[in-house]
Amino acid sequence: MNPSQNPIPDTKVNGDVRLDFAFELRARYETPRLQHTPKGHFRYQDLVSGAVTGARLTAKVYPNSGGQYDTVRVDQVREVDAHFILNAENGERLYVEHFGYRASAGYYRVIAFLDADTKGAYDWVNDTTFVVTAQESPDEREVVFTYYVAN
Amino acid sequence: MSDTNGTMDRRSVLAGLGGVGLIAGGALGLTTPTARGASAERAAAGTLPEAAQYGAADPHIATIGLRWAFTARVIFADRFNIAAPVQRGYTSVGIGEIWGPRLQGRVLPHSGADYYKNTFNTYYLFEPADGALIFIHNRGTKRRFVAQPEPGAQPVPDANPDLQAPGGWVRFRVAPTFIAPVGPHDWMNRTVFVANATKHQNPDHTVFTYYEVL
Repeated sequence: MNPSQNPIPDTKVNGDVRLDFAFELRARYETPRLQHTPKGHFRYQDLVSGAVTGARLTAKVYPNSGGQYDTVRVDQVREVDAHFILNAENGERLYVEHFGYRASAGYYRVIAFLDADTKGAYDWVNDTTFVVTAQESPDEREVVFTYYVAN
Repeated sequence: MSDTNGTMDRRSVLAGLGGVGLIAGGALGLTTPTARGASAERAAAGTLPEAAQYGAADPHIATIGLRWAFTARVIFADRFNIAAPVQRGYTSVGIGEIWGPRLQGRVLPHSGADYYKNTFNTYYLFEPADGALIFIHNRGTKRRFVAQPEPGAQPVPDANPDLQAPGGWVRFRVAPTFIAPVGPHDWMNRTVFVANATKHQNPDHTVFTYYEVL
């Protein structure tokens, strides 16, 4: 069916998005390693440690579970791509992935998606889009991510 | 002045817009770290809708802002499923239109689809009024709740998770990445967005309201 043949109702109504604070993650990384690639500079930072604090999740970063795999593009924008595992205080494990951009001042704007056990305490993250702001330390070895639920 | 000037005080940018900007900057209390990612191009774009600033009870926790960028209404052509080990859904893009302060134009007809497994995984193209091609890849989440929560409150999951059931509140949220050509739409290559997606029937379509994360 060609949709252009149908009368289209007036649904030009904007929907809203509201952000509600969820938790904060402080990640410690090794010094970045840079490599020149056809896509720009690949920038790898191994994850050393980290912790999540907040009313909705308390966790530690699972050791050696990933890192930050960024690309500094030819236009100098750094694409942030961080993946790792969290070990929650109740023993459950969660996967977290981030994608977004680093602004020049050391601030990130990223989106995060998490996976958790559907029968566990954190099932709510499975169907949640997180909007995240993050700040990198001057030595680039610590990043504080602040997670908001897109309600 | 470039978009990458992260040290610019956003209030000074808004002040350049005149009284409206001053009022908006003051109302938002833009003294937080997130305000430093301000952009002079926003001033160049003229008057934009007011941004909303979100924070936490603890003033040491970084705040974040959202501002409406544009809305896309996408009318779907057809839907079916492929019984793969994890079911692959297919919802193809027919036509669509785009309006708002930062982008106007149309969805390139039949330029792609949502090829989803459990949740959004869309690939198609926008064609703004200047004829550029902007690739969009959307991912997202969906869940049914009893009602939309009050600000600061947690939504209560509905005992009936069927997204098609009447009543309740279904929260569809998507986060796109764009590939735009060098030129006036280049800002989309370095901006994080989050969108409200609201489904409609007759014809089958969804309205995506895109917010720029400030």
